[in-house]
Amino acid sequence: MKPRIVAEHLSRWYGNVLGLSDVNLEIGPGITGLLGPNGAGKSTLLKLITGQIRPSLGRVTIDGQPVRGRAELFSRLGYCPEQDAFFDGFTGWQFLYWLLRLHHFTEKKAAERTEEMLRLVELEADAHRPIRSYSRGMRQRLKLAQALAHEPEILILDEPLNGLDPLGKRKMIRLIRDFGQEGRLVLVSSHILPEIEALTRQIILIHQGKVFAQGDIHEIRDLIERHPHVVSVRTRDSRRLAAWLIQQPYVVKAYFGENDDNLFVETRDRDKFFHFLLELVAEGRIEIEEITSPDDNLQAVFDYLIGKP
Amino acid sequence: MKPGMLERVNAEKKGSLFLPGIKIIFQLSFFQGKRSKKSRLFALLSFSPIVIALFLRIHQTLSPERSFDGLYFFNNAILLFIFQFLVLVVTLFYGTSISTDDLEAGTWAYLVTRPIPRATIVLGKYLSSLILAAAITGTGLIISFFILNLESLTRLSIYGYLIKDIAILWLALMAYTSFFTFLGAAIRRSVFFGLIFSFGWENVIQYFPGSTQRLAIIHYIKSIIPLPSTGRFSFLTFQLEPTKPAYAILALLGISIFFLALACLIFIYKEPRAED
Repeated sequence: MKPRIVAEHLSRWYGNVLGLSDVNLEIGPGITGLLGPNGAGKSTLLKLITGQIRPSLGRVTIDGQPVRGRAELFSRLGYCPEQDAFFDGFTGWQFLYWLLRLHHFTEKKAAERTEEMLRLVELEADAHRPIRSYSRGMRQRLKLAQALAHEPEILILDEPLNGLDPLGKRKMIRLIRDFGQEGRLVLVSSHILPEIEALTRQIILIHQGKVFAQGDIHEIRDLIERHPHVVSVRTRDSRRLAAWLIQQPYVVKAYFGENDDNLFVETRDRDKFFHFLLELVAEGRIEIEEITSPDDNLQAVFDYLIGKP
Repeated sequence: MKPGMLERVNAEKKGSLFLPGIKIIFQLSFFQGKRSKKSRLFALLSFSPIVIALFLRIHQTLSPERSFDGLYFFNNAILLFIFQFLVLVVTLFYGTSISTDDLEAGTWAYLVTRPIPRATIVLGKYLSSLILAAAITGTGLIISFFILNLESLTRLSIYGYLIKDIAILWLALMAYTSFFTFLGAAIRRSVFFGLIFSFGWENVIQYFPGSTQRLAIIHYIKSIIPLPSTGRFSFLTFQLEPTKPAYAILALLGISIFFLALACLIFIYKEPRAED
């Protein structure tokens, strides 16, 4: 699918401090998670994509056009900033209404759309209360509402789940997923792995201003040669299976879990490994009760990539 | 509904975004400005010329043997207070906040990620600041004018003075707001440097001989204020070499346009600092 956001050799310094270093990215429709620890450069990347700051080197384009200086592009773009900031003294209704007016909606349309969005984020009962009296979760939902309100094709969300309680997170994740399922591009940043996992399998890993990896979590995992893929196999004949597997060149290690039925295998080539395992099962040489990949999650990939032991 | 298909006014046509952008930013900024704490404080300040006028009136009532020329007191006391203090304070705080308030409050991102050219943010806010500043300073000017000229209200010629004073007030507000908008966009701690400019530079340079005095905005304002340089307050209106009124008006308009254009240009390239 054709990428809509393209970054080429994108770098940004804040004085002597490196914000982002030589980033090359192509992001297409669907939900993409931008994952990295605090200070990794996520917000810098999102600010560059939304034209709030200029790159020191390289360029970033949306639909082939540089963002800065092209105000008309912003009608296609929705941005939810990380900062918990709102216009002073505004109610939720006023906040959404005026930001829709800045999208050139007529007064009537802006008012109608404001009501719709407040219903969507379940804030209609609090619409006319000052934002400063809102809870953190309500403010986060309001920020998301202003980013979604004009039906953008591209949605950039900077830590939208920050500070939300579990119920609030679930609601927010549902909103973002619904939005992303309509063929739009959603780029969502977070430093919390399960948040991204709940949203998407398509990730960009960023750390110390550099993109470590981009793609499906499984593809990324396969790229990491020095950290073989771990597969857990539960079988009554685990010792015999271990003997067969250890002879394969792509199997690095085999060890047993607390329960003797559980065999953990580290492999450099997941496809070959599973192919071999299937052959054993098909030939009736072994019976397997369960196969799981304990490290097939974002935390493991992330730890590997940033060099965490 | 397909993405981005909501009804809106030509948001994809860049050329059509400029004037609507100024209009909406103006409306938003005016809506914010009239409810702000700053405006409430300035609204109180706007009563100070009225208080001065009332004081002069009461003084005159208590000393009826002295002759009282309302226009003289208005020109020499009220106008000077308005132009050399009130206008400076009001435009300093409104002007410098145009490009810094949203950055400091963290609401900058909401404005610069909308389909409006960046310059329209400065221009829209400038217009709303100008109108708020005019309302604040104009109220004091008009009411104090009437208080001091109660006996002459039936004379039509008196209104000519008032209209002229209001026009000069507009020119002064335009020039100072532009300058302070530029200052806010260009430097950090703009309020501090603005205070130095207002009560240091402007107050000193205007008394320098030769062409140096023309480096102060107040020089051009004083060149068109109908002030007689005689009497008790003449030391306040001392003008060495006033510029011809037509040139002074052109200079004030030029200053307004120049610094506003410069502020827009700086704002287009402005970015939040890393700590923002």
